[in-house]
Amino acid sequence: MKRRDEVLVGLLLIVSVAAGVAGTVWLARGGLSAGYDMYARFPWGAGLKNGQPVLLAGVNVGFVKGVKLDPAGSLVVTLAVQKEYRVPDGTTAAVEPNGIFGDQLIALTPTLGASTYMAAGDTIPTGAGTPTTGDLLAKGDSIARDVEALTGALRAEFVSGGGIADLRKVTGEMAALVAELGQIATAQSRELTITQQQLRATLAAVDSAVVDSTMRSIRTSTANVAAITEELQVAQAQVRSMLTKLDNGTGTAGKLLNDPSVYARLDMLLMRLDSLAIDVKANPRRYINLRVF
Amino acid sequence: MPIAASWRTLHKGFCSVLRQFGEHGYYLRDIMRAARETDTWPRETIRQMRVIGVESLLLTVIVAAFLGGVTAFQTRFQLFPGVQLSAVGLIARQSIVLELGPLLTALVLTGRVGARMTAEIGTMRVTEQIDALETLAYDPVAFLSLPRLLAALVMLPALVMLANVSAIVSAWLTLILATDVRTVDFVDGLRLSFIPFQVVYSLVKATAFGGAIAFVCSYQGYIAQAGAEGVGKATARAVVITSVAILTLDAIVAAVLAPFVQA
Repeated sequence: MKRRDEVLVGLLLIVSVAAGVAGTVWLARGGLSAGYDMYARFPWGAGLKNGQPVLLAGVNVGFVKGVKLDPAGSLVVTLAVQKEYRVPDGTTAAVEPNGIFGDQLIALTPTLGASTYMAAGDTIPTGAGTPTTGDLLAKGDSIARDVEALTGALRAEFVSGGGIADLRKVTGEMAALVAELGQIATAQSRELTITQQQLRATLAAVDSAVVDSTMRSIRTSTANVAAITEELQVAQAQVRSMLTKLDNGTGTAGKLLNDPSVYARLDMLLMRLDSLAIDVKANPRRYINLRVF
Repeated sequence: MPIAASWRTLHKGFCSVLRQFGEHGYYLRDIMRAARETDTWPRETIRQMRVIGVESLLLTVIVAAFLGGVTAFQTRFQLFPGVQLSAVGLIARQSIVLELGPLLTALVLTGRVGARMTAEIGTMRVTEQIDALETLAYDPVAFLSLPRLLAALVMLPALVMLANVSAIVSAWLTLILATDVRTVDFVDGLRLSFIPFQVVYSLVKATAFGGAIAFVCSYQGYIAQAGAEGVGKATARAVVITSVAILTLDAIVAAVLAPFVQA
Protein backbone atom coordinates (compact mmCIF):
# COMPACT_ATOMS: atom_id res chain seq x y z
CA MET A 1 0.00 0.00 0.00
CA LYS A 2 2.78 2.37 0.96
CA ARG A 3 4.71 1.49 -2.17
CA ARG A 4 1.63 2.06 -4.26
CA ASP A 5 1.15 5.53 -2.72
CA GLU A 6 4.69 6.48 -3.54
CA VAL A 7 4.33 5.32 -7.13
CA LEU A 8 1.10 7.17 -7.65
CA VAL A 9 2.39 10.35 -6.08
CA GLY A 10 5.63 10.18 -8.01
CA LEU A 11 3.81 9.56 -11.25
CA LEU A 12 1.52 12.50 -10.65
CA LEU A 13 4.43 14.80 -9.84
CA ILE A 14 6.39 13.69 -12.90
CA VAL A 15 3.41 14.15 -15.19
CA SER A 16 2.71 17.53 -13.68
CA VAL A 17 6.27 18.78 -14.00
CA ALA A 18 6.57 17.41 -17.52
CA ALA A 19 3.31 19.06 -18.57
CA GLY A 20 4.38 22.35 -17.05
CA VAL A 21 7.85 22.36 -18.56
CA ALA A 22 6.69 21.15 -21.97
CA GLY A 23 3.85 23.66 -22.08
CA THR A 24 6.09 26.52 -21.05
CA VAL A 25 8.77 25.63 -23.58
CA TRP A 26 6.20 25.18 -26.31
CA LEU A 27 4.64 28.55 -25.60
CA ALA A 28 7.90 30.41 -25.13
CA ARG A 29 10.03 28.81 -27.85
CA GLY A 30 7.55 27.11 -30.15
CA GLY A 31 8.73 23.67 -29.14
CA LEU A 32 12.05 21.95 -28.72
CA SER A 33 12.79 22.00 -32.46
CA ALA A 34 12.09 25.66 -32.77
CA GLY A 35 14.01 26.24 -36.01
CA TYR A 36 16.51 29.05 -36.09
CA ASP A 37 16.87 32.66 -35.03
CA MET A 38 17.11 35.71 -37.24
CA TYR A 39 17.37 39.33 -36.28
CA ALA A 40 15.92 42.66 -37.29
CA ARG A 41 16.37 46.21 -36.07
CA PHE A 42 13.54 48.64 -35.67
CA PRO A 43 13.41 52.15 -34.24
CA TRP A 44 12.30 52.75 -30.68
CA GLY A 45 8.59 52.69 -30.06
CA ALA A 46 7.78 50.01 -32.61
CA GLY A 47 5.39 48.33 -30.14
CA LEU A 48 7.05 44.90 -30.30
CA LYS A 49 6.91 42.19 -27.67
CA ASN A 50 7.42 38.48 -27.32
CA GLY A 51 5.05 36.13 -29.11
CA GLN A 52 3.97 38.47 -31.89
CA PRO A 53 3.67 36.61 -35.21
CA VAL A 54 6.23 36.78 -38.00
CA LEU A 55 4.75 36.53 -41.49
CA LEU A 56 6.77 35.75 -44.62
CA ALA A 57 4.74 36.91 -47.63
CA GLY A 58 1.64 36.57 -45.47
CA VAL A 59 2.45 33.07 -44.17
CA ASN A 60 3.01 32.63 -40.45
CA VAL A 61 6.58 31.34 -40.21
CA GLY A 62 7.47 32.16 -36.62
CA PHE A 63 7.17 34.61 -33.78
CA VAL A 64 9.06 37.30 -31.93
CA LYS A 65 11.34 35.56 -29.50
CA GLY A 66 13.01 38.50 -27.86
CA VAL A 67 13.20 42.28 -27.92
CA LYS A 68 16.29 44.05 -26.65
CA LEU A 69 16.67 47.76 -26.25
CA ASP A 70 19.69 49.22 -27.97
CA PRO A 71 20.69 52.56 -26.40
CA ALA A 72 21.69 53.77 -29.85
CA GLY A 73 18.02 54.20 -30.69
CA SER A 74 16.89 50.87 -32.01
CA LEU A 75 15.28 47.64 -30.89
CA VAL A 76 17.13 44.41 -31.62
CA VAL A 77 14.41 41.88 -32.29
CA THR A 78 15.05 38.14 -32.32
CA LEU A 79 12.78 36.27 -34.70
CA ALA A 80 12.22 32.54 -34.18
CA VAL A 81 11.67 31.15 -37.68
CA GLN A 82 10.43 27.59 -38.21
CA LYS A 83 13.05 25.36 -39.77
CA GLU A 84 10.90 24.43 -42.78
CA TYR A 85 10.94 28.04 -43.97
CA ARG A 86 13.88 29.95 -45.42
CA VAL A 87 14.10 33.69 -45.86
CA PRO A 88 15.14 34.72 -49.41
CA ASP A 89 17.89 37.25 -49.98
CA GLY A 90 16.55 40.76 -50.47
CA THR A 91 13.74 40.26 -47.97
CA THR A 92 12.82 43.31 -45.90
CA ALA A 93 11.18 43.36 -42.48
CA ALA A 94 8.52 45.83 -41.41
CA VAL A 95 6.31 46.31 -38.37
CA GLU A 96 2.66 46.27 -39.36
CA PRO A 97 -0.55 46.59 -37.35
CA ASN A 98 -2.30 43.37 -36.38
CA GLY A 99 -5.97 44.08 -35.75
CA ILE A 100 -7.40 47.34 -34.50
CA PHE A 101 -6.17 47.37 -30.92
CA GLY A 102 -2.60 48.39 -31.49
CA ASP A 103 -1.08 44.92 -31.64
CA GLN A 104 1.78 44.47 -34.11
CA LEU A 105 3.28 41.80 -36.28
CA ILE A 106 6.48 41.59 -38.27
CA ALA A 107 5.95 41.25 -42.00
CA LEU A 108 8.82 39.85 -44.07
CA THR A 109 8.48 40.87 -47.72
CA PRO A 110 10.64 38.83 -50.12
CA THR A 111 11.70 40.01 -53.56
CA LEU A 112 10.45 38.09 -56.57
CA GLY A 113 12.91 35.78 -58.28
CA ALA A 114 15.39 35.50 -55.43
CA SER A 115 17.22 32.17 -55.68
CA THR A 116 19.51 32.49 -52.69
CA TYR A 117 18.57 32.54 -49.04
CA MET A 118 19.71 34.31 -45.91
CA ALA A 119 21.58 32.29 -43.33
CA ALA A 120 20.45 31.65 -39.79
CA GLY A 121 21.49 34.52 -37.54
CA ASP A 122 21.45 37.10 -40.30
CA THR A 123 19.90 40.49 -39.73
CA ILE A 124 17.00 41.19 -42.05
CA PRO A 125 17.08 44.76 -43.39
CA THR A 126 14.21 46.98 -42.44
CA GLY A 127 11.70 48.11 -45.06
CA ALA A 128 8.88 50.60 -45.05
CA GLY A 129 5.87 49.40 -43.15
CA THR A 130 2.24 50.25 -43.59
CA PRO A 131 0.77 53.06 -41.47
CA THR A 132 0.35 52.03 -37.88
CA THR A 133 -2.50 52.86 -35.58
CA GLY A 134 -0.25 55.53 -34.11
CA ASP A 135 0.27 57.05 -37.53
CA LEU A 136 -3.46 57.09 -38.14
CA LEU A 137 -4.06 58.66 -34.75
CA ALA A 138 -1.41 61.28 -35.51
CA LYS A 139 -3.15 62.03 -38.79
CA GLY A 140 -6.43 62.28 -36.90
CA ASP A 141 -4.81 64.70 -34.48
CA SER A 142 -3.55 66.79 -37.39
CA ILE A 143 -7.05 66.93 -38.87
CA ALA A 144 -8.46 67.83 -35.47
CA ARG A 145 -5.96 70.68 -35.15
CA ASP A 146 -6.92 71.97 -38.60
CA VAL A 147 -10.58 71.82 -37.69
CA GLU A 148 -9.84 73.64 -34.46
CA ALA A 149 -7.92 76.35 -36.34
CA LEU A 150 -10.79 76.67 -38.80
CA THR A 151 -13.25 76.91 -35.96
CA GLY A 152 -11.12 79.60 -34.33
CA ALA A 153 -10.99 81.59 -37.57
CA LEU A 154 -14.73 81.30 -38.00
CA ARG A 155 -15.26 82.35 -34.41
CA ALA A 156 -12.97 85.35 -34.89
CA GLU A 157 -14.73 86.31 -38.10
CA PHE A 158 -18.30 85.74 -37.08
CA VAL A 159 -18.24 86.45 -33.37
CA SER A 160 -15.39 88.85 -32.72
CA GLY A 161 -15.56 90.54 -36.15
CA GLY A 162 -19.29 91.12 -35.96
CA GLY A 163 -20.11 88.74 -38.83
CA ILE A 164 -23.04 87.26 -37.01
CA ALA A 165 -24.42 90.77 -36.31
CA ASP A 166 -24.11 91.56 -40.01
CA LEU A 167 -25.83 88.32 -40.87
CA ARG A 168 -28.62 89.14 -38.47
CA LYS A 169 -28.95 92.62 -40.00
CA VAL A 170 -29.05 91.22 -43.53
CA THR A 171 -31.54 88.63 -42.41
CA GLY A 172 -33.75 91.34 -40.93
CA GLU A 173 -33.55 93.35 -44.13
CA MET A 174 -34.34 90.30 -46.16
CA ALA A 175 -37.33 89.66 -43.94
CA ALA A 176 -38.54 93.22 -44.46
CA LEU A 177 -38.00 92.91 -48.22
CA VAL A 178 -39.88 89.65 -48.29
CA ALA A 179 -42.72 91.26 -46.32
CA GLU A 180 -42.81 94.16 -48.76
CA LEU A 181 -42.80 91.79 -51.73
CA GLY A 182 -45.60 89.94 -50.05
CA GLN A 183 -47.64 93.10 -49.76
CA ILE A 184 -46.98 93.90 -53.43
CA ALA A 185 -47.96 90.42 -54.41
CA THR A 186 -51.13 90.72 -52.37
CA ALA A 187 -52.03 94.02 -54.05
CA GLN A 188 -51.25 92.62 -57.50
CA SER A 189 -53.28 89.58 -56.73
CA ARG A 190 -56.17 91.76 -55.68
CA GLU A 191 -55.94 93.81 -58.91
CA LEU A 192 -55.68 90.67 -60.98
CA THR A 193 -58.75 89.38 -59.28
CA ILE A 194 -60.62 92.57 -60.13
CA THR A 195 -59.40 92.47 -63.74
CA GLN A 196 -60.43 88.88 -63.99
CA GLN A 197 -63.83 89.69 -62.64
CA GLN A 198 -64.18 92.56 -65.13
CA LEU A 199 -63.08 90.32 -67.97
CA ARG A 200 -65.62 87.74 -66.93
CA ALA A 201 -68.29 90.45 -66.82
CA THR A 202 -67.28 91.72 -70.28
CA LEU A 203 -67.28 88.23 -71.70
CA ALA A 204 -70.64 87.64 -70.13
CA ALA A 205 -71.95 90.89 -71.73
CA VAL A 206 -70.96 89.88 -75.28
CA ASP A 207 -74.04 88.76 -77.34
CA SER A 208 -73.35 85.47 -78.96
CA ALA A 209 -75.66 86.35 -81.94
CA VAL A 210 -73.63 89.46 -82.68
CA VAL A 211 -70.51 87.43 -82.42
CA ASP A 212 -71.87 84.92 -84.89
CA SER A 213 -72.85 87.71 -87.31
CA THR A 214 -69.44 89.26 -86.96
CA MET A 215 -67.78 85.95 -87.56
CA ARG A 216 -69.84 85.37 -90.69
CA SER A 217 -68.92 88.87 -91.95
CA ILE A 218 -65.32 88.12 -91.26
CA ARG A 219 -65.57 84.88 -93.19
CA THR A 220 -67.22 86.74 -96.12
CA SER A 221 -64.55 89.42 -96.03
CA THR A 222 -61.91 86.76 -95.93
CA ALA A 223 -63.44 85.12 -99.02
CA ASN A 224 -63.52 88.49 -100.84
CA VAL A 225 -59.95 89.17 -99.91
CA ALA A 226 -59.05 85.77 -101.28
CA ALA A 227 -60.80 86.60 -104.60
CA ILE A 228 -59.09 89.96 -104.79
CA THR A 229 -55.79 88.33 -104.07
CA GLU A 230 -56.40 85.89 -106.85
CA GLU A 231 -57.23 88.70 -109.28
CA LEU A 232 -54.17 90.62 -108.17
CA GLN A 233 -52.06 87.56 -108.85
CA VAL A 234 -53.50 87.40 -112.39
CA ALA A 235 -52.84 91.13 -112.90
CA GLN A 236 -49.36 90.70 -111.57
CA ALA A 237 -48.73 87.95 -114.08
CA GLN A 238 -49.96 90.11 -116.91
CA VAL A 239 -47.78 93.05 -115.82
CA ARG A 240 -44.82 90.68 -115.51
CA SER A 241 -45.49 89.50 -119.13
CA MET A 242 -45.74 93.06 -120.35
CA LEU A 243 -42.51 94.02 -118.66
CA THR A 244 -40.84 91.01 -120.16
CA LYS A 245 -41.93 92.13 -123.61
CA LEU A 246 -40.69 95.64 -122.92
CA ASP A 247 -37.32 94.26 -121.84
CA ASN A 248 -37.11 92.09 -124.90
CA GLY A 249 -37.94 94.99 -127.22
CA THR A 250 -40.85 93.17 -128.79
CA GLY A 251 -44.02 95.13 -129.69
CA THR A 252 -44.44 98.82 -130.28
CA ALA A 253 -43.71 99.94 -126.75
CA GLY A 254 -40.67 97.70 -126.59
CA LYS A 255 -39.29 99.10 -129.78
CA LEU A 256 -40.06 102.62 -128.61
CA LEU A 257 -38.07 101.96 -125.43
CA ASN A 258 -35.27 99.90 -126.85
CA ASP A 259 -34.64 101.22 -130.42
CA PRO A 260 -32.29 104.33 -130.40
CA SER A 261 -33.20 105.32 -133.93
CA VAL A 262 -36.75 105.94 -132.85
CA TYR A 263 -35.44 108.27 -130.16
CA ALA A 264 -33.32 110.12 -132.77
CA ARG A 265 -36.24 110.49 -135.02
CA LEU A 266 -38.46 111.78 -132.30
CA ASP A 267 -35.74 114.23 -131.25
CA MET A 268 -35.44 115.40 -134.88
CA LEU A 269 -39.19 115.72 -134.99
CA LEU A 270 -39.28 117.85 -131.88
CA MET A 271 -36.58 120.11 -133.27
CA ARG A 272 -38.53 120.64 -136.46
CA LEU A 273 -41.65 121.31 -134.48
CA ASP A 274 -39.75 123.88 -132.42
CA SER A 275 -38.44 125.61 -135.54
CA LEU A 276 -41.89 125.44 -137.06
CA ALA A 277 -43.43 127.06 -134.01
CA ILE A 278 -40.84 129.79 -134.09
CA ASP A 279 -41.48 130.36 -137.73
CA VAL A 280 -45.23 130.35 -137.17
CA LYS A 281 -44.82 132.99 -134.50
CA ALA A 282 -42.61 135.02 -136.73
CA ASN A 283 -44.58 134.70 -139.91
CA PRO A 284 -48.04 133.87 -139.01
CA ARG A 285 -49.40 135.00 -142.41
CA ARG A 286 -47.39 132.42 -144.07
CA TYR A 287 -49.30 129.74 -142.39
CA ILE A 288 -52.55 131.37 -141.40
CA ASN A 289 -54.32 133.33 -144.20
CA LEU A 290 -57.74 134.29 -143.12
CA ARG A 291 -60.07 135.80 -145.62
CA VAL A 292 -63.53 136.87 -145.17
CA PHE A 293 -65.01 136.64 -148.44
CA MET B 1 -23.05 53.36 29.50
CA PRO B 2 -23.78 52.12 25.94
CA ILE B 3 -20.51 53.70 24.84
CA ALA B 4 -18.64 51.84 27.55
CA ALA B 5 -20.36 48.58 26.56
CA SER B 6 -19.52 49.14 22.90
CA TRP B 7 -15.95 49.89 23.80
CA ARG B 8 -15.73 46.68 25.81
CA THR B 9 -17.20 44.69 22.91
CA LEU B 10 -14.78 46.26 20.47
CA HIS B 11 -11.86 45.68 22.80
CA LYS B 12 -12.92 42.08 23.34
CA GLY B 13 -13.23 41.47 19.58
CA PHE B 14 -9.87 43.06 18.87
CA CYS B 15 -8.22 40.98 21.58
CA SER B 16 -9.92 37.88 20.18
CA VAL B 17 -8.48 38.57 16.74
CA LEU B 18 -5.04 39.09 18.22
CA ARG B 19 -5.40 35.88 20.22
CA GLN B 20 -6.39 34.02 17.08
CA PHE B 21 -3.29 35.31 15.30
CA GLY B 22 -1.20 34.38 18.29
CA GLU B 23 -2.62 30.85 18.47
CA HIS B 24 -2.02 30.41 14.74
CA GLY B 25 1.52 31.59 15.34
CA TYR B 26 2.02 29.01 18.07
CA TYR B 27 0.57 26.36 15.81
CA LEU B 28 2.96 27.34 13.03
CA ARG B 29 5.82 27.20 15.49
CA ASP B 30 4.73 23.68 16.54
CA ILE B 31 4.66 22.61 12.90
CA MET B 32 8.16 23.90 12.33
CA ARG B 33 9.37 22.16 15.47
CA ALA B 34 7.69 18.98 14.31
CA ALA B 35 9.99 18.93 11.27
CA ARG B 36 12.59 17.43 13.58
CA GLU B 37 10.45 14.30 14.00
CA THR B 38 11.74 12.71 10.84
CA ASP B 39 10.60 9.27 11.88
CA THR B 40 7.03 10.42 12.03
CA TRP B 41 6.04 12.66 9.15
CA PRO B 42 7.71 11.38 5.90
CA ARG B 43 5.55 8.27 5.42
CA GLU B 44 2.40 10.09 6.40
CA THR B 45 3.34 12.86 3.99
CA ILE B 46 3.40 10.42 1.09
CA ARG B 47 -0.01 9.14 2.10
CA GLN B 48 -1.37 12.66 2.34
CA MET B 49 0.08 13.49 -1.06
CA ARG B 50 -1.91 10.64 -2.49
CA VAL B 51 -5.03 11.78 -0.67
CA ILE B 52 -4.64 15.40 -1.64
CA GLY B 53 -3.13 14.98 -5.09
CA VAL B 54 -3.95 11.68 -6.69
CA GLU B 55 -7.46 11.35 -5.31
CA SER B 56 -8.29 14.94 -6.30
CA LEU B 57 -6.83 14.71 -9.79
CA LEU B 58 -9.98 13.67 -11.63
CA LEU B 59 -12.14 16.34 -9.98
CA THR B 60 -9.53 19.01 -10.62
CA VAL B 61 -9.10 18.11 -14.28
CA ILE B 62 -12.85 17.99 -14.91
CA VAL B 63 -13.46 21.33 -13.21
CA ALA B 64 -10.57 22.91 -15.13
CA ALA B 65 -11.80 21.48 -18.43
CA PHE B 66 -15.19 23.05 -17.98
CA LEU B 67 -13.57 26.25 -16.80
CA GLY B 68 -11.34 26.50 -19.88
CA GLY B 69 -14.06 25.58 -22.33
CA VAL B 70 -16.58 28.05 -20.96
CA THR B 71 -14.01 30.83 -20.63
CA ALA B 72 -12.89 30.46 -24.25
CA PHE B 73 -16.41 30.05 -25.59
CA GLN B 74 -17.70 33.14 -23.80
CA THR B 75 -14.63 35.14 -24.73
CA ARG B 76 -15.16 34.37 -28.41
CA PHE B 77 -18.71 35.65 -28.36
CA GLN B 78 -17.83 38.77 -26.39
CA LEU B 79 -15.50 39.97 -29.13
CA PHE B 80 -16.99 42.51 -31.48
CA PRO B 81 -16.23 42.53 -35.21
CA GLY B 82 -12.75 43.66 -36.13
CA VAL B 83 -10.94 42.07 -33.22
CA GLN B 84 -8.45 39.43 -34.32
CA LEU B 85 -9.47 35.95 -33.22
CA SER B 86 -6.09 35.32 -31.65
CA ALA B 87 -7.30 37.54 -28.80
CA VAL B 88 -9.37 34.56 -27.63
CA GLY B 89 -6.23 32.50 -27.08
CA LEU B 90 -4.52 35.36 -25.30
CA ILE B 91 -7.45 36.06 -22.99
CA ALA B 92 -8.03 32.37 -22.28
CA ARG B 93 -4.38 31.81 -21.42
CA GLN B 94 -4.10 34.85 -19.19
CA SER B 95 -7.39 34.10 -17.43
CA ILE B 96 -6.60 30.45 -16.85
CA VAL B 97 -2.91 30.59 -16.00
CA LEU B 98 -2.85 33.79 -13.99
CA GLU B 99 -6.13 33.60 -12.13
CA LEU B 100 -8.81 31.02 -12.68
CA GLY B 101 -6.65 27.91 -12.74
CA PRO B 102 -5.03 28.39 -9.32
CA LEU B 103 -8.02 30.07 -7.70
CA LEU B 104 -10.76 27.65 -8.70
CA THR B 105 -8.56 24.62 -8.10
CA ALA B 106 -7.83 25.88 -4.59
CA LEU B 107 -11.47 26.61 -3.86
CA VAL B 108 -12.53 23.21 -5.11
CA LEU B 109 -9.84 21.52 -3.04
CA THR B 110 -10.92 23.52 0.00
CA GLY B 111 -14.15 21.59 -0.06
CA ARG B 112 -12.69 18.35 -1.27
CA VAL B 113 -9.52 18.19 0.86
CA GLY B 114 -9.71 20.93 3.48
CA ALA B 115 -13.05 19.88 4.90
CA ARG B 116 -11.81 16.32 5.05
CA MET B 117 -8.68 17.40 6.94
CA THR B 118 -10.68 19.32 9.51
CA ALA B 119 -13.16 16.53 9.96
CA GLU B 120 -10.43 13.89 10.35
CA ILE B 121 -8.32 15.83 12.81
CA GLY B 122 -11.37 17.18 14.63
CA THR B 123 -12.76 13.69 15.08
CA MET B 124 -9.40 12.55 16.39
CA ARG B 125 -9.47 15.48 18.79
CA VAL B 126 -12.96 14.84 20.14
CA THR B 127 -12.35 11.10 20.40
CA GLU B 128 -9.13 11.84 22.27
CA GLN B 129 -6.97 10.03 19.75
CA ILE B 130 -4.67 13.05 19.73
CA ASP B 131 -4.34 12.78 23.46
CA ALA B 132 -3.49 9.12 23.01
CA LEU B 133 -0.75 10.02 20.53
CA GLU B 134 0.73 12.43 23.01
CA THR B 135 0.57 9.69 25.65
CA LEU B 136 2.50 7.41 23.30
CA ALA B 137 5.16 10.14 22.91
CA TYR B 138 4.09 10.88 19.36
CA ASP B 139 4.02 14.50 18.38
CA PRO B 140 0.48 14.86 17.01
CA VAL B 141 1.49 17.91 14.97
CA ALA B 142 4.28 15.95 13.33
CA PHE B 143 1.90 13.12 12.59
CA LEU B 144 -1.22 15.07 11.57
CA SER B 145 -0.44 18.64 10.58
CA LEU B 146 3.03 18.71 9.07
CA PRO B 147 2.43 15.90 6.54
CA ARG B 148 -0.78 17.58 5.37
CA LEU B 149 0.93 20.93 5.06
CA LEU B 150 3.87 19.53 3.11
CA ALA B 151 1.60 17.43 0.93
CA ALA B 152 -0.58 20.41 0.14
CA LEU B 153 2.42 22.64 -0.58
CA VAL B 154 3.70 20.10 -3.11
CA MET B 155 0.51 18.76 -4.61
CA LEU B 156 -1.43 21.98 -5.10
CA PRO B 157 1.11 23.32 -7.65
CA ALA B 158 1.12 19.93 -9.37
CA LEU B 159 -2.65 19.88 -9.57
CA VAL B 160 -2.79 23.50 -10.72
CA MET B 161 -0.29 22.77 -13.47
CA LEU B 162 -2.39 19.89 -14.73
CA ALA B 163 -5.52 21.99 -14.32
CA ASN B 164 -3.99 24.73 -16.48
CA VAL B 165 -3.08 22.24 -19.19
CA SER B 166 -6.52 20.66 -19.01
CA ALA B 167 -8.24 24.05 -19.21
CA ILE B 168 -6.17 25.21 -22.18
CA VAL B 169 -6.68 21.97 -24.08
CA SER B 170 -10.39 22.16 -23.32
CA ALA B 171 -10.45 25.78 -24.50
CA TRP B 172 -8.74 24.80 -27.75
CA LEU B 173 -11.11 21.90 -28.40
CA THR B 174 -14.15 24.03 -27.60
CA LEU B 175 -13.03 26.80 -29.93
CA ILE B 176 -12.19 24.65 -32.94
CA LEU B 177 -15.29 22.48 -32.54
CA ALA B 178 -17.89 25.09 -31.67
CA THR B 179 -16.64 28.43 -33.03
CA ASP B 180 -14.88 29.90 -36.05
CA VAL B 181 -11.56 30.22 -34.22
CA ARG B 182 -8.85 28.16 -35.93
CA THR B 183 -5.99 26.38 -34.28
CA VAL B 184 -3.46 28.83 -35.71
CA ASP B 185 -5.40 31.78 -34.25
CA PHE B 186 -5.60 30.12 -30.85
CA VAL B 187 -1.92 29.21 -30.81
CA ASP B 188 -0.93 32.72 -31.92
CA GLY B 189 -2.89 34.13 -29.00
CA LEU B 190 -1.44 31.58 -26.58
CA ARG B 191 2.08 32.60 -27.52
CA LEU B 192 1.43 36.32 -27.62
CA SER B 193 3.18 38.14 -24.77
CA PHE B 194 3.97 34.88 -23.00
CA ILE B 195 6.84 34.77 -20.58
CA PRO B 196 7.72 31.73 -18.45
CA PHE B 197 7.31 33.78 -15.28
CA GLN B 198 3.55 33.64 -15.85
CA VAL B 199 3.72 29.91 -15.11
CA VAL B 200 5.86 30.61 -12.05
CA TYR B 201 3.27 33.17 -10.95
CA SER B 202 0.57 30.53 -11.21
CA LEU B 203 2.66 28.08 -9.19
CA VAL B 204 3.39 30.69 -6.53
CA LYS B 205 -0.32 31.23 -6.10
CA ALA B 206 -0.95 27.49 -5.98
CA THR B 207 1.69 27.01 -3.33
CA ALA B 208 0.28 29.81 -1.22
CA PHE B 209 -3.24 28.46 -1.57
CA GLY B 210 -2.11 24.92 -0.71
CA GLY B 211 -0.40 26.18 2.41
CA ALA B 212 -3.50 28.12 3.41
CA ILE B 213 -5.77 25.10 2.92
CA ALA B 214 -3.60 22.72 4.93
CA PHE B 215 -2.68 25.18 7.66
CA VAL B 216 -6.14 26.60 8.32
CA CYS B 217 -8.04 23.35 7.96
CA SER B 218 -5.67 21.29 10.09
CA TYR B 219 -5.66 24.00 12.75
CA GLN B 220 -9.45 24.18 12.85
CA GLY B 221 -9.59 20.43 13.27
CA TYR B 222 -6.89 20.54 15.90
CA ILE B 223 -8.90 22.96 18.04
CA ALA B 224 -12.31 21.39 17.39
CA GLN B 225 -14.64 21.34 20.37
CA ALA B 226 -16.11 18.19 21.78
CA GLY B 227 -18.95 16.38 20.05
CA ALA B 228 -20.12 15.90 16.52
CA GLU B 229 -21.47 19.43 16.50
CA GLY B 230 -18.06 20.76 17.40
CA VAL B 231 -16.52 18.89 14.47
CA GLY B 232 -19.23 20.14 12.15
CA LYS B 233 -18.75 23.72 13.26
CA ALA B 234 -15.00 23.41 12.91
CA THR B 235 -15.37 22.03 9.39
CA ALA B 236 -17.71 24.80 8.31
CA ARG B 237 -15.47 27.42 9.89
CA ALA B 238 -12.43 25.93 8.22
CA VAL B 239 -14.04 26.11 4.76
CA VAL B 240 -15.10 29.71 5.28
CA ILE B 241 -11.79 30.90 6.70
CA THR B 242 -9.80 29.03 4.06
CA SER B 243 -11.89 30.51 1.25
CA VAL B 244 -11.39 34.02 2.59
CA ALA B 245 -7.70 33.34 3.13
CA ILE B 246 -7.34 32.10 -0.45
CA LEU B 247 -9.00 35.19 -1.87
CA THR B 248 -6.88 37.42 0.35
CA LEU B 249 -3.68 35.66 -0.68
CA ASP B 250 -4.78 35.90 -4.31
CA ALA B 251 -5.04 39.66 -3.95
CA ILE B 252 -1.71 39.92 -2.13
CA VAL B 253 0.15 37.82 -4.70
CA ALA B 254 -1.43 39.79 -7.52
CA ALA B 255 -0.49 43.10 -5.92
CA VAL B 256 3.10 41.98 -5.42
CA LEU B 257 3.83 39.98 -8.56
CA ALA B 258 1.39 41.17 -11.22
CA PRO B 259 3.78 43.84 -12.57
CA PHE B 260 6.31 41.10 -13.34
CA VAL B 261 4.00 38.93 -15.44
CA GLN B 262 3.72 41.52 -18.19
CA ALA B 263 5.81 40.71 -21.23
